[in-house]
Amino acid sequence: MNRDDCTGDAAAYVLGALEPDEAERYRRHLDGCAACRDEVAGMRRVTDTLLVAVPQYRAPAGLRRRVMHTIHARPHRRSKPARLAITAAAVAASLAAAIIFAQRPAPAGPAAQVRTAGGHAELSVQHLAPPAPGRIYEVWLERPHAAPAPTAALFTVNRAGAADVAVPGDLRGVRMLLVTEEPAGGSRVPTGRPVIVAPTN
Amino acid sequence: MFRAPFSFRAAQLRALTDEALMERVDQADAVAFEVIFDRHAGAAFSLAYRMCGRRSAAEDIVQETFLSLWRRGGRYERARGSVRSWVLGAVHNKAIDSFRHQTATAARDFSDDEALGELVAPDLTDGEVERRDEARQIRGALGGLPTEQRRVIELAYFGGFSHTEIADMLELPAGTVKGRMRLGLIKLRLSLGDRQSAAGGVR
Repeated sequence: MNRDDCTGDAAAYVLGALEPDEAERYRRHLDGCAACRDEVAGMRRVTDTLLVAVPQYRAPAGLRRRVMHTIHARPHRRSKPARLAITAAAVAASLAAAIIFAQRPAPAGPAAQVRTAGGHAELSVQHLAPPAPGRIYEVWLERPHAAPAPTAALFTVNRAGAADVAVPGDLRGVRMLLVTEEPAGGSRVPTGRPVIVAPTN
Repeated sequence: MFRAPFSFRAAQLRALTDEALMERVDQADAVAFEVIFDRHAGAAFSLAYRMCGRRSAAEDIVQETFLSLWRRGGRYERARGSVRSWVLGAVHNKAIDSFRHQTATAARDFSDDEALGELVAPDLTDGEVERRDEARQIRGALGGLPTEQRRVIELAYFGGFSHTEIADMLELPAGTVKGRMRLGLIKLRLSLGDRQSAAGGVR
């Protein structure tokens, strides 16, 4: 798309300040303009941080009591029929997905092996899709009864979806290596579900 | 089976990440949910109060947000990243929705007779100190903007006003508001980017 078509509305858009018809037009423009999509993504990171840029108070005790009273009163929040309905829908969806995939070569799911030597580990992954733009894979060490510990092992995969990653850090007590997709630069706590869970044995 | 005392269990759960806690919330673990609530309800309430200007409305929004998180369990949208981002994003959306149902802008002003003084936490945990420190730095960056840029950003993002409404309020030509928003966000992105790279690029 020609850069001249860009209206410079990214800031007003992420602030929710466009009029409804303008916002709709801008969304359509974004569909075809990678430069504006990047600009929107960058500005959205700013507005996300603004959500904590307000004077900070403790939540009122009465609010906590009301919320906890409600959830303790209804511990099983999803009824059985609802769960079954969800399951049935999920089965239908996965059948649909299976039918779609059946028309293409079956993609192999991600696979991983861990080699350990001298208290260090090397993780080999295969069939892993590349991370989304601006994101990276991060390796975590999981020990029993502890939150996953971040490592400096940040990686992406080659065009075949494979990577060999040296994992720094002390492996004592580590049961699993986890891999999650994180913002470029990595995170201190995992922000997504693991895409790979590899036992260290 | 031995069942750990409630507070002991809560103390153990407090060591877990939000993601691990949400897996337990998915299994209807109310104690795990309490830990999630205690981690994020302060920031959620603070945002809702800043946007609504009324304590009762802010409490309603936070209550709705957390009950919705409870009902969703592990199926809360991860597209926004962390649990905290999800909670704050949900509070923001609910507050904006509540504005759309009000026509009088007077309902959105920030006069409130209820004293909030007793809510200011006197004793902070390490995590809270860090978070408040982060909030303070971001407030500093926002405060460092020229007033006319900060004002249009705050009116739009915390007040839910469109650029044409803001132009009317401030008696400005139509394009000016968008221009100020753009300049302001670009400056914020630069100053926050500096801060983040100084902290090792970790969010």
